[in-house]
Amino acid sequence: MVMSMKQASREKGRPLASSLFAAILYVVMFVIYSINAPSAITLGGITDLLNNTIVLAIASAGLTLIILAAELDLSSVGVIAVSNVLVATVSTKMPAGTIGTLLLVCLVGLLVGLTNGWLVAFLGLQSLACTLGTMIMCQGIALVILDAPGGEVAAFIMNRLTDTVFGMIPVAGLILAVVVLAWLLFRRTRLGIAIYAVGTDAVASHLTGIDVKGTKLRVFALAGVAYGLAGYLLSAQTGTGDPRVSNSFLLYVFAAVAIGGTSLGGGRGGVIGSVIGAGILTVMQKLLFAVGVADFYTNIFSGLIMVVAILFGNLSAILTLHQRMPLTRHGDRGYSAQ
Amino acid sequence: MNMRKFQWLIPVAVGCTLTAVANQMDAQGAQKYKVFLDMSYSGNIWQAAAANGIKALATTPPYDKLIEFKTIISGTDVQKQISDIQSMIAAGANAIIIYPLSPTALNRVIRQATDRKVLVFTYDSTVTEPSAYNVSNITARYGANTAQWMVNKLGGKGEIIFNHGVAGTAVTKTYDEQAYHIFHNYPGIKIVGDFYGNWNDSISEAEVSKILAAHPNVDGIWTVDGTYGSLQAVLKNRPSRLVVIAGQSNNGYRLMMADPAMQAKGLQGISSSAGPAVGGYAFKVMMEVLLDKKKLTGHNVEYPLPWVEAKDIKACAGDRFENGCNVFPDGKVPPLFLDTALDPNFLPELSLDAVQTGNPTPGATIQPLPDVKYADNLPGINCQDCKAPADALEPNLVTPIPVPK
Amino acid sequence: MEIAGTRLSNRPDMENTASPKVRFTVSALRPETITALLVLLATTLMMLIMKALNPTFGSLEQIAAILTTSIFLVVASYGQGLVILLGGIDLSIGVVMSIGGMIIAGLTNGSNQALVWAIPVTLLSCIAIGLVNGLGVAFLKVPPFIMTLAVATAAFGVALGLTAGSSQRTVAPALQQLMSARITGIPIPILLIGCSLIGGSLLQSRTAEGRKLYAIGSSVAAARIVGLPIEALTIGAYGMSGLCASVAGILLAGYSSGATLDMGDPYLMPSIAAVVIGGASVTGGKGNYLGTFAGAIFLSALSTIITVLSLSQGWRNIIQGGIIVVALTLQTKQWYLQKIANRPLTGQGSPNRALSQNSKV
Repeated sequence: MVMSMKQASREKGRPLASSLFAAILYVVMFVIYSINAPSAITLGGITDLLNNTIVLAIASAGLTLIILAAELDLSSVGVIAVSNVLVATVSTKMPAGTIGTLLLVCLVGLLVGLTNGWLVAFLGLQSLACTLGTMIMCQGIALVILDAPGGEVAAFIMNRLTDTVFGMIPVAGLILAVVVLAWLLFRRTRLGIAIYAVGTDAVASHLTGIDVKGTKLRVFALAGVAYGLAGYLLSAQTGTGDPRVSNSFLLYVFAAVAIGGTSLGGGRGGVIGSVIGAGILTVMQKLLFAVGVADFYTNIFSGLIMVVAILFGNLSAILTLHQRMPLTRHGDRGYSAQ
Repeated sequence: MNMRKFQWLIPVAVGCTLTAVANQMDAQGAQKYKVFLDMSYSGNIWQAAAANGIKALATTPPYDKLIEFKTIISGTDVQKQISDIQSMIAAGANAIIIYPLSPTALNRVIRQATDRKVLVFTYDSTVTEPSAYNVSNITARYGANTAQWMVNKLGGKGEIIFNHGVAGTAVTKTYDEQAYHIFHNYPGIKIVGDFYGNWNDSISEAEVSKILAAHPNVDGIWTVDGTYGSLQAVLKNRPSRLVVIAGQSNNGYRLMMADPAMQAKGLQGISSSAGPAVGGYAFKVMMEVLLDKKKLTGHNVEYPLPWVEAKDIKACAGDRFENGCNVFPDGKVPPLFLDTALDPNFLPELSLDAVQTGNPTPGATIQPLPDVKYADNLPGINCQDCKAPADALEPNLVTPIPVPK
Repeated sequence: MEIAGTRLSNRPDMENTASPKVRFTVSALRPETITALLVLLATTLMMLIMKALNPTFGSLEQIAAILTTSIFLVVASYGQGLVILLGGIDLSIGVVMSIGGMIIAGLTNGSNQALVWAIPVTLLSCIAIGLVNGLGVAFLKVPPFIMTLAVATAAFGVALGLTAGSSQRTVAPALQQLMSARITGIPIPILLIGCSLIGGSLLQSRTAEGRKLYAIGSSVAAARIVGLPIEALTIGAYGMSGLCASVAGILLAGYSSGATLDMGDPYLMPSIAAVVIGGASVTGGKGNYLGTFAGAIFLSALSTIITVLSLSQGWRNIIQGGIIVVALTLQTKQWYLQKIANRPLTGQGSPNRALSQNSKV
């Protein structure tokens, strides 16, 4: 089994191995958490944990696609804010509110994503800088729609999406499973393969006939939809609109992607890792509480755990790819984004 | 081969299990109430002073023997705050005092807590969940009162700068609405510049400097916080002519307000706004309810709005506000120190050291509180389907002057 | 479009390390310099438009006020620029600024004499935080994003534990005077900005160490083959970033007469934005301090204009974000301008450079 894993990772690069290591870390953290807080392994505890995880997980899944294509995107918090205030203002007023609002927020995410993609792929702007611009604009739009926390989310969204189905499966878990499944199918598609190629070497991809600009445009659009969905799920949990989704969330979206083993230089990694990364960051908060870490010590240990999580992932890279390591990490960064 | 790599985890896991078991045995040994403080923002003067006050009170006799107290910092991500409150419920909390990140987003998790008979109190910021108790002075009409005070001092006309708080918060919306309502009653008042100072002194100072450069004849500045910074900008750019200003209770600001030399240059100030002592007050109210010493009939408690004019300012000799003194001499505390962190009426247990370090004052014991004052309803702030009083935008501490012809 | 080889062969910085004199003659109109000048031009245009709309805007006093308040960003983003030049990023700048301010306030406690030793202690402490970042990135191979975020989170926790969140001491009066005094009518902060611009540019573009950063940022692999001390330079760059953040923090504490643990936060995102708007690439190897400086001034002027507009915060954000995007677009569309500027001056090497700089694909 070890052999076949090694071979697989040689063929496909790092993603399999490092998301496996992230998963092991997650399990270890969860076990320690549940030993210290017995309610963790009740259905309610698991549902709570998944509900806490899902917004970060979906947002970081979207960001993963962009990072795989060797671009960066800061607009996630902006789209989440717009989506959140939209759900809070229209979901109780429009007919078929649940589905209608879902479509609406996905459309908003798509529009923002297309704008980002167009600016990056066709106008050649640096993704980090121009998505900073769109993020600030989206936060402004959210403030224009709702100038203070308030509004109301349709009861169906609030109650169903945060609950369980058949009294045993948390809806959030189901959604995560669908996301993971969709990713597994997506990465085999033409676009899925193109993303990795573009992220690894845009120039070579172009020479082999891949539509680099179109790929980037689609990636940003898909990510925008994911952010919209994340905002929708956030609304389900808070039951209200709040135009201020903080910047600290933005950094954690990136952290989830990195901890999940996706290289911030592009071309290596995957959505599954990011979902697990989001899980690690969420269970971290619960774990620290459960083992009695409080006050400012929480900050200190959060910092430590983030570094340890990365080192754990690096360990896997050393184990599986020790010949390739020293040169490529930085080299890829310099190359791929050009 | 893979297994061997993770052998080091076994002692770690065993260690964690043992500490968990030890923790639980500890908790069962003494029957103490479990009380949590859930902070959101941390690292600024206001939050630090409020949290220190609560921590000091929690370790002041007899509370130190009665409760097991723990502080959790959730940060500025509302999901983390939800997650932490869930953890507190799961850990068997008896009472939780929180600084809520949002008036509405925590309602569900608060309901989960109160359904399990956990007392939930908020301080300063409020929630609309009816089963929670809010202790705040957001309903005390800071915006209307201070704006009217400024109008009276300005004689109903003049150029003013408007320093909003943080955009997108309920507090800012409420106060802005009130203050704008008053200023717009007087056609002679012109707002020549407004900015979001984020309750922050250095941002306020920078922005006021920039506006002053374009509008050199500004007569007044309305602030909620960032008052000291705003006034510094005037002092540095226009030292010979100061302003009418309304705002916080920074020690440096109060000293300047009371300084005859500054008054001679036109400085007229009011020190009001929400003080950090509301945290300690909310904690004491919560403890009295938890210990069955107080029954609350309403869920919204109003902490009185601080209101200190220049004539009321009196320097303190010691480390406490005694005999009506309400400011420390220059150099004893930094200029940004908030004098409203101390409250001799409701919180006589706290000394200067207590609100600076969070340690209890030696020799102090918890004193009982007088009856509480219940707050007005404000929809979207402290209740959901309710009506605000008809005069919610009007001042109740200051008498308006007639509009000058 | 560029072909694969262009990027590799086009490594002016490497050549320059070998022969700095050649570069000197060419450098007057490097593409980065043009970008920086364009950003400054955009800033001026923006101010002129505002002046036309609103005559009270844009007095000399107001420009001085904008420059004075931009000093924190100008200083902090220098370090950010060096790290980004390497292809890294420093998310600890906000926290280090706050910590720098807290230490200086705590150590001086209102005494000017104490500054003599308090300043070095503050700088060294913050450099140490930067070095931790650098060590993690260089030796543990932790991505800069996570390393600096983790160090910032942990350092914030330590500082919170030690201070309970705000300094209980007064900043030395000399620092407060430094930020408000004038020499021959010019505010001292503006003179300081001038000094840091010259000093920073010289260090980044004229020293061998500075040029090596460009080389590493362009390609670690190539830099390693050439035998550059990659780890040492990486650690040095993060240390410099810590140093700059602490200087900015000391100045900010002097400006606002006090220090809190959240006072640096508003400067983190702008420090990255200033560097990138100034023409640097987040993937490294490109950009100079004049550009970063221009980016910082641009952002400061923009925020003033937004203040003057007197709109609700929502519309302010929309306009601010929009202007950033428009400015970036103008900057990217200037490639042919560069070609024209470069052709007569720089000869054969440069068109390539201009091309590789702006073609994304």
